[in-house]
Amino acid sequence: MTTPTDPEKIESILSTAEKLRWDIGSNFHDHLMEAIYTDAARIADRAVSYPEKPPRFDLDRTIDRLVTSRVWGFPLMLLLLMIVFWLTISGANYPSQFLAWLLLDNGHPLLKTLAADINLPWWLSGLLIDGIYLATAWVISVMLPPMAIFFPLFTLLEDFGYLPRVAFNLDNVFKKVGAHGKQALSMSMGFGCNAAGVVATRIIDSPRERLIAIITNNFSLCNGRWPTQILIATIFIGGLVSAQWAGLISAMAVVGIAVLGVFFSFAVSWGLSRTILKGEVSTFSLELPPYRPPRIWQTIYTSVIDRTLIVLWRAVVFAAPAGAVIWLISNITIGDAVLAQYFIDWLNPLGLLVGLNGIILLAYVVAIPANEIVIPTILMLTTLVLGSGGAGRGVLFETQSLGDTAALLQAGNWTLLTAVNLMLFSLVHNPCSTTIYTIYKETGSLKWTTISALLPVVMGFVLTFFVAQVWHLLV
Amino acid sequence: MDNQLWLYLIIFLGGVVLAVLVLQLWRVIEHRWKEKKEMTSRISIEDTLKHFYHCERNQETPLPESVAGILRTSVADATDVLTEMERHQLISRAGNRWQLTDSGRDYALQVIRAHRLWERYLADQTGFPESEWHTQSDKLEHKLSHEETEALANRLGHPRFDPHGDPIPTADGRLPEAKHISLAALPVEQPAEVVHLEDEPEAIYRQLGEHGIHLGTVLRVLRRGDDGIEVWLPSGTVQLTTAQAANVSVEPIAESEIVLPEPTVPLSALKPGEQGRVVNISPACKGAERRRMMDLGIVPGTIIKAEMVSPSGDPTAYLIRGALIALRREQASLINVSRNLTPATEQTPSQNEVTA
Repeated sequence: MTTPTDPEKIESILSTAEKLRWDIGSNFHDHLMEAIYTDAARIADRAVSYPEKPPRFDLDRTIDRLVTSRVWGFPLMLLLLMIVFWLTISGANYPSQFLAWLLLDNGHPLLKTLAADINLPWWLSGLLIDGIYLATAWVISVMLPPMAIFFPLFTLLEDFGYLPRVAFNLDNVFKKVGAHGKQALSMSMGFGCNAAGVVATRIIDSPRERLIAIITNNFSLCNGRWPTQILIATIFIGGLVSAQWAGLISAMAVVGIAVLGVFFSFAVSWGLSRTILKGEVSTFSLELPPYRPPRIWQTIYTSVIDRTLIVLWRAVVFAAPAGAVIWLISNITIGDAVLAQYFIDWLNPLGLLVGLNGIILLAYVVAIPANEIVIPTILMLTTLVLGSGGAGRGVLFETQSLGDTAALLQAGNWTLLTAVNLMLFSLVHNPCSTTIYTIYKETGSLKWTTISALLPVVMGFVLTFFVAQVWHLLV
Repeated sequence: MDNQLWLYLIIFLGGVVLAVLVLQLWRVIEHRWKEKKEMTSRISIEDTLKHFYHCERNQETPLPESVAGILRTSVADATDVLTEMERHQLISRAGNRWQLTDSGRDYALQVIRAHRLWERYLADQTGFPESEWHTQSDKLEHKLSHEETEALANRLGHPRFDPHGDPIPTADGRLPEAKHISLAALPVEQPAEVVHLEDEPEAIYRQLGEHGIHLGTVLRVLRRGDDGIEVWLPSGTVQLTTAQAANVSVEPIAESEIVLPEPTVPLSALKPGEQGRVVNISPACKGAERRRMMDLGIVPGTIIKAEMVSPSGDPTAYLIRGALIALRREQASLINVSRNLTPATEQTPSQNEVTA
C-alpha cells in the first residue's frame, strides 16, 4: 500500500484493540485452542474412514486383560523379570570368562613381554599396561557381556509393548511417592546399569517425575555392584552360619540389600517430590501402545549400538585415566612410602568412624569410573599395605579362590562390621562417573547433576556412621 | 640483629595484609547489609502502596494502624514508612487523610502487575500447587526491575488476567473498568457468571474451590438468609457463608446467555466398558496439565471409552481416538463427560452424510 496512513485512524484502531483486549474474557485462549482441536477432529472424522475394527484389536484386549488382571498381573511381571535376570546372569558367565581369559590372563602377560622385548622403561610399561590397559580391559570384560544380554532382552519386552503395562500396573505405588509409573522401567534398567537407567528415563515426559527417576536411579543395585555384594556376603555373612545354610543366608543378604535399595528409591522420591522438586512441572499420561511382534534383529542391533556400546565407550573413557591414577599412586614414592599409603593413612580415621577403613574409601575414590574395579582395587591396595602377595604394585588382580580373598581381607583387619558397612556403602554412594556424566548429558544442568552425585554419598556416610555407632554400642 | 629486623618486617607486612583483608571483608559485609536494608525498605514501601491502592479501589481510608497490620510492625514504624514515602512523593497527606499521588498509583500498579504476572507464571509454567501461587508471588513481586518484569510478560505472551481472574495492569498502568459485583450483592434469581475469586484469605479461596466455584462458573442465588446464601450451580446447590460470598465477584448475564449445561459425570465415574462424550475440561485443570489433555485429543465431542483398571486400583486406561491412554483418577475427575453420546444441540455429520 502506498497511500499514506492516517495517524488518527491508526490511533482509533489501536485504542479499540486495547479495549477489546479486556472484553474477550480470561479463557479466550482456551476457547480458541479447543475450537481448533474440535475443528481438526471434525475434519478428520469426515475425511478418514475406519474399517469395522482393527483386526488385532480384540487380541490386544485379551492380552491386556491377562497381563493387567488382578490375579495374574503381578505374578506374571515378577516371572518375566526373573527370567530376564536369570538369562543375564547365567548367560553372561561364559563370555565374561572368555573375555577375562583373552584380555586379562593372556593379553596382559603378552603385552608385558612385548614391552620388555622393545626395552620400554619399567615406568612406562607399568603406567600403560598395568595401569591404563588393565583397568580398561577389566571394565570391558566384566561389563560388556551382561549388558549385551540384558539390554536386548529388555528392549524386546519394550518393543512387544509389555513394559508400558508394567508401568500401568505399578503406577499407583509410584504415585504415592510422587513419582511416575514408568520409573519402574528405568529402575529395572538400573539393575543392569545406572547410566542406561538414566537414559531410559527419557520415556517419562513429565519434567518433575523424570528428575526424580534420574536422581534415584542410583539406588538400583547395578550390574557392577552385584559381584561385590555376592563376594562380601559369601565370605562374611555366609561364614556366620553352618555350611549348609551359608548359600541361602548370603543370597538373602544380597537380595536384602537390593530390596533396601528399592526402599531408598521410594523414600528419596517421596522426599524429593515434596521439597526441592516441588516447583517442577508435573503432568501424567501413559500411552499403552498396541502389541506387535518384536522385530528381533533390529532390536538387538539398536540396543547393542544405542545402549551397550555407548555406555561401554563412556566407561572406557573414564576407566583409562583411573587405571593410570591407580598405578601412579601405588608407585610414586615420597620419603619411604608410596603415595597410596599416605592417602590411606589420611582416610583411615574417617573410614574407621563409619565402620569402613582407609583402603575402602581410597578404592571408592580412585575407582569412581566403574564399580566393577572396586574389589580388585581393594585387594591390590591391601597387599600393598601388607607388603606381601598380589600381582605387584598397582596391578589389579583377583585371587584364585574365595578362601584366599577371605584370608587377605582378614589380614587387613576386616570385621563383620566392615563387611556389612561395605555392602551398605556399595549400595548408597555416589554414582559412577559414567552415570554422573550421563546425568549431566540428560539434564543439561549442573545443579541436578551435583545433587544426584552428592545426595547418595552423604546418605551413605550417615547410614554407615549410624550402623557403626550402634554396632560399637551393642558388640 | 639482621634476623630480628627481618622478623619485624615480616610481622609488619603480615599486619598490613591482615588489615587490608579485614577492611575488604567489612566492606563486603556492609554492602550486603545495606542491600538487605534497602530491600526491606523496598518491600515495606511496595506493600504499603498495594494497600493504599486496594483502599482506594474499595473507597476506604488507609491509616497508620492498617499499614502496621499489613507490614506486621508497630504503628511507629509504619508511620516512619509513611513519612519516607511522603518524602518520595508517592503519597500525600491532607490532615489525617493519606492518599496516593499519581506517581504513587503508577508505582502501585507496577507492583500489582509484577505480582499477577508471577501468579500467571507459577500457574502455567511450574508445578507449584494453587495454594502457593499467592504467597510466592508476594515475595517475588519485589525482586524484579522494570525491564525484567517486561521480559517476564513477554515470555508469558502478555497475559491479560492472572489465574484468579484479576486483570493484569498493562505496562503503562491501565486497567479495565470493573463491571462485576459481589456475589453477596447479586439479586436473587439473577443468573451470573463468576469473573473473579479473591485469593486472600487463602482458606476461603480453597473452600470456594471445594464447593465447585471456579472462574466461569454460571450460578444464581436461590435464597438469601441471615447467615448466608443458597446458590444454584450446574453441579447442584451449595450453601455459602456471607464471608465466602463476599469474596466472589460475578457479572450478571442474560437468561438467554445461559448455556444450560448438560448433566455430566466426571470421566472417573465411568466403569470399564462404559463410554462418554467429553463436554468440557474443568476450569480447575490449568497450565501444562490442560495442554497435555488437549494434546491427547480430549476436546468437547471426543468419545472416550473406559477400557480397564490397573490391578493396583489406579490409573485407568481409556480408549481416546483409537489410542489407549492411562489417566490417574485425579486427572479423570477433571474431565466432564456426558453419557449421552450425541450432543443435543449440534449435529455432528454422521457417516451416512459423508458417503452420500
